[in-house]
Amino acid sequence: MGDLTTDVLVIGSGAGGAITAAALATHGRSVTVVEEGPWIDADAMEPFSLEEMVAKYRHHGLAAALGNPAVAYAEGRCVGGSTEINSGLYHRLPDHLATEWQQIYGIDEFTPAALAGYADRVEADLSVSRVPGAPPASSAVLERGATKLGWRNVEFARVFRYDADGRGTKQTMSRTMLPRAVAAGATIVPDCRVQRLIRRGDRIVGVRCRRTHPGGGVEQLTIAADHVFVCGGAVHTPALLQRSGIRHNVGNGLKMHPTIKIAARFPHPVDHGDVPMHRVTEFSPFVAIGGSASRKGHIAMALSDTGAPFDDALADWENISTYYAAIRSEGSGRVLALPGLRSPLVTYALTEADLSRLARGLVHLGEMLLAAGATELHPSVVGGRIVRRLDELGSWWDQVTRARANLMTVHLTSTVRMGENRARTGADSFGRVWGYRNLRVNDGSLIPDAPGVNPQAAIMAIATRNCDQFLADGR
Amino acid sequence: MLWFEREVVGSLIASPDQSVRSSVESFVDGSLRDMPEHLRAGVIGETVLLGTYVAALRATGRLPSGDGEALLHQLDSWETSRIGVLRTYVRMMKSLVVFAENEYASEDAA
Repeated sequence: MGDLTTDVLVIGSGAGGAITAAALATHGRSVTVVEEGPWIDADAMEPFSLEEMVAKYRHHGLAAALGNPAVAYAEGRCVGGSTEINSGLYHRLPDHLATEWQQIYGIDEFTPAALAGYADRVEADLSVSRVPGAPPASSAVLERGATKLGWRNVEFARVFRYDADGRGTKQTMSRTMLPRAVAAGATIVPDCRVQRLIRRGDRIVGVRCRRTHPGGGVEQLTIAADHVFVCGGAVHTPALLQRSGIRHNVGNGLKMHPTIKIAARFPHPVDHGDVPMHRVTEFSPFVAIGGSASRKGHIAMALSDTGAPFDDALADWENISTYYAAIRSEGSGRVLALPGLRSPLVTYALTEADLSRLARGLVHLGEMLLAAGATELHPSVVGGRIVRRLDELGSWWDQVTRARANLMTVHLTSTVRMGENRARTGADSFGRVWGYRNLRVNDGSLIPDAPGVNPQAAIMAIATRNCDQFLADGR
Repeated sequence: MLWFEREVVGSLIASPDQSVRSSVESFVDGSLRDMPEHLRAGVIGETVLLGTYVAALRATGRLPSGDGEALLHQLDSWETSRIGVLRTYVRMMKSLVVFAENEYASEDAA
């Protein structure tokens, strides 16, 4: 029936899709990966630059979950997905969450021990490691401040491979799993947006796509497939399912880590080429403290948030870095495909407890930065006080309101939750969408709740586990 | 970009350097065009309303015409408005301009 025919069709090439493609192709399956975004050489652009934002981010990074307040979010839209644009931080799913979710959602074979086995494999495959030698100054700030206050902190591992000189290369999916899949015979089709799945009874028999060619031409394409894995991330996976008429527990329950920031000025230069790898875990899992990308543009944007003049601070930008407090939110949101529109509507409702948690996170972050030697703190709060002393931090408690807080996130999950509890989930324990024999989800949508840490490791371990189950099932 | 968006962006760019100004305008234009359609529709609606409001202020002499500083003050007041979409509009425009302007300026310096 199709212009192309494949055994397994993987939609999306990020952490979930690339791992799925590599796992199935290396086991002899005929695999085709379709990716909406372009294929861009991973070395072609500076990380976190404006050029990268234009080329690799969906909507140039300009998307938001509507609500009061709106929460800005960023996603990758290129071969390799968000692994091409993130910081590469890697943190296993905390054991207590695996246990809790297994009980609430009825997830089979989801014990901490079982997940640890998959995480071991991912870590070996992707050279997950810590930075050799001393951490950069921007990361040492977190360690120093937390240690002075007696707070727990840890250097997170990253999906990085280091050479003999200590130079690190992020092991993005376009550098690792996708080449592995291609070497095993998989085909990758970039610039190809799947418009809808073609259903026949309880099976998906193929997909309709729109492929854009580099010269500008557009081609309608039909791909026939025996098995379909949807791996478009927590926004676009549910949107595609909804566009295709699949709606049971699809798109509701969106979770995220709303994040509030501080631009911190120090009496010494801070590095700007990397994202800090230390995290303050004293308040985990509800509040995590870490550092963000801090190019000059990011610093200017963070300084501008208070609305106060910032020319003086910006002139000293090499001594400034941005840090964040991210919360595990009790609020939730929705993804809703709108007829005739390419982009789904995304909403998120923060609770009063979330706002209180954000204020607490901001104050703790301020304490830590002052302890680490910061001399001036600019919060991402409109009209927020620029703080220079510990006794001034108290003013932030009242300033983090719905009207004034500037929030963002890069972690979106939970829009097609997995488990045997059909009342709460959109897919079974291994990602098979309820009501369809050959349709699976294998990305962050499956994670039942926000993990309180970077979800990349959980996505990769769960994707590996689900592929094993698919292969063992003899499908 | 619509005419009022162009005016807002022009007033927010601090650099007198024409090449930086046009690069920033071009980046903001591309970003607005690439927004999710429903968000872009909302932004267009706001732009038309706010542009009309500003035009009325100017017509009645309550806002000097052709004065970028006056428009900046107006934007500052909207940024702390009790109306959420108004605040978001100003913050979005400011973030785009400030980020792009400083990135382009760094590139030039390098």
